[in-house]
Amino acid sequence: MLEVSGLSVDYILDRGNVRAVDDVSFTAGRGEFLGIVGESGCGKSTLLFAVAQLLAPPATVAAGTVTFEGTNLVGLTDEQLSAMRWRDMSLVMQSAMNALNPVKTIGAQFKDAMRAHGKFTGEEITARSAEVLKMVGIDPVHLRSYPFQLSGGMRQRSMIAMAMLFTPDLVIMDEPTSALDVVAQRSLMVQIKELQQAFGFAVIFVTHDMSLISHFSDRLLVMYAGQVAELGVTKEVFDRPLHPYTQGLLEAFPSIRGPRVPLKGIPGNPPDLSHVPSGCRFRPRCSYAIEKCAELEPDLYPMDGALVRCLRREDGSLAS
Amino acid sequence: MTDELPRADLLRTEHVRRYFKIGNTLSRRTLHAVDDVSFAIGEREIVALAGESGSGKSTIARMLAQVYRPTSGEVYFEGKPLSSMTSRRDRLRYSALVPMVFQDPFSSINPVFRVQHGVLRCLKLHRPSLSAAQRLEEAGRVFEVVGLNPDMLQRFPYELSGGQRQRVGFAQALAMRPKLILADEPVSMLDVSIRIGLLNLMAKLRDEEGVSILYITHDIASARYVADRLIVMYAGHIAETGPIEDVLTHPRHPYTQLLLSAVPDPRAPLSVAAETDRGEPPRVIDPAPGCLFRWRCPLAIDTCAQVTPVLAELRPGHDAACHVAQNSPEEVKAFT
Repeated sequence: MLEVSGLSVDYILDRGNVRAVDDVSFTAGRGEFLGIVGESGCGKSTLLFAVAQLLAPPATVAAGTVTFEGTNLVGLTDEQLSAMRWRDMSLVMQSAMNALNPVKTIGAQFKDAMRAHGKFTGEEITARSAEVLKMVGIDPVHLRSYPFQLSGGMRQRSMIAMAMLFTPDLVIMDEPTSALDVVAQRSLMVQIKELQQAFGFAVIFVTHDMSLISHFSDRLLVMYAGQVAELGVTKEVFDRPLHPYTQGLLEAFPSIRGPRVPLKGIPGNPPDLSHVPSGCRFRPRCSYAIEKCAELEPDLYPMDGALVRCLRREDGSLAS
Repeated sequence: MTDELPRADLLRTEHVRRYFKIGNTLSRRTLHAVDDVSFAIGEREIVALAGESGSGKSTIARMLAQVYRPTSGEVYFEGKPLSSMTSRRDRLRYSALVPMVFQDPFSSINPVFRVQHGVLRCLKLHRPSLSAAQRLEEAGRVFEVVGLNPDMLQRFPYELSGGQRQRVGFAQALAMRPKLILADEPVSMLDVSIRIGLLNLMAKLRDEEGVSILYITHDIASARYVADRLIVMYAGHIAETGPIEDVLTHPRHPYTQLLLSAVPDPRAPLSVAAETDRGEPPRVIDPAPGCLFRWRCPLAIDTCAQVTPVLAELRPGHDAACHVAQNSPEEVKAFT
């Protein structure tokens, strides 16, 4: 349904172009839950904005296509995009606190969204708004509430309700739970999954917290320095991470169960995308790096049904 | 012999309350941010203070840092009540011994000065006996302790990564030879791959520099990684407290159980306990007596609506404020 192929995004700056997303390809099928994880500055939010065609200068798509239900979105005008936005594809932003208008009621904001993308009578709008709020477990009386009258979890759920107004085929979520505490976070995740199972839309879920989506996503895309480091079935990525970066990320999480073991995390810092290291971008932080990692830029290699960007996996010198 | 004595309390709070007045003249209401909280922090100890947003964690830190005065109750530091520290000298001494490290490393360092500025100012103010050369030497030493190259003293904050800036925050605190560092969510703004480095630094400060740390967090897994004891807050009250392993393996308060079941853990099967919870916020404005968790509690009994539960020891050193857990431990066990 969604096919992203060879997508690159540049930020055009005075001091030169910075490639924030470099040759990223993936697909998302109907009803699929695709998780995208990575550290801050790895290009994951830029990637999402490129998929939704919301990039604003200085960011531009430098290469590649985003094919959604047979149409290449790259290069479409706002008018053409407007016909499909929110109806077929909707977006849930990181912080509901900032994404909702503080001086309008929830109901008024739902009405704006519906009016912008179709012709409806007042009753239709009220009925549909009440329906989607009920779907996310909020009492429809809150259509008359202002955002500040709701708790963080309720605000985030009403954002998701808003994304459901037209029952889209694809919902893109950019860290929708990061402002919530763990209990609210878990109940929101469960709710997203329930809605997805009921309506069959695809979800692309971006987060920096790998453990959060371990039980919810079907496939997992790990990004590092603007590139895909690893792409595979979530369960297998967790059970057998192939890329040293994925391994490092998994080992960076303390657990509340099992023995208390000292952890090291990943040494160093993610690279500045305007000065990426030569060869493999993860090399300076990688404990498995060998000489050729500095010289050759690794491609994405298929391995055991997954894709991994690691030279030592390709030549088999790093056993799993 | 001395090993068997309980560790001396470095800091102790007794029935501390902090209320905030909200509303206008027509609707005066009181928000109970922290209500009747008593706990102690020993020497060389990391105590984790966990709870959801709005549970009063940061208010406690601010009272300990003397930003807020408690509405009632008292905080004792090395046996001396904070309210008796009125002279500038006493207050300076206290703020040097109990410094704070903030959540956001991007806004807590002055961007127009080199990073040495903050460290040197702390030294000048709190350790006036040092000469300028000694101050610089000491700044280099604390930078090394926190894992930064002393050359970095000359850098500007924008040249450092988030993890390095947070280390600068700890270096500033450490320069004052503190006894207790108040760390309010020190790693939550950092990337996952570098959080562990900061947690390891906190453990090192405890083990090698003998500093106690109050580690405020909503991340139970990181608390378990680094802390000795855990305090779980709910709606301004302490719900449960005890040695961290004991609390995590034998949680007695239903809120702790809910919290633990919601922690994402790829190594565990998906639990269902949290799925029924729709997480309404607790009512902390003008609360009536009774347990504030009772609306969300699957075990609530009639008593919970009338009597506010107080902490009682249920296991060695492990207290919970729950009527059900205190009266019929079997029922709570069945729930877990």
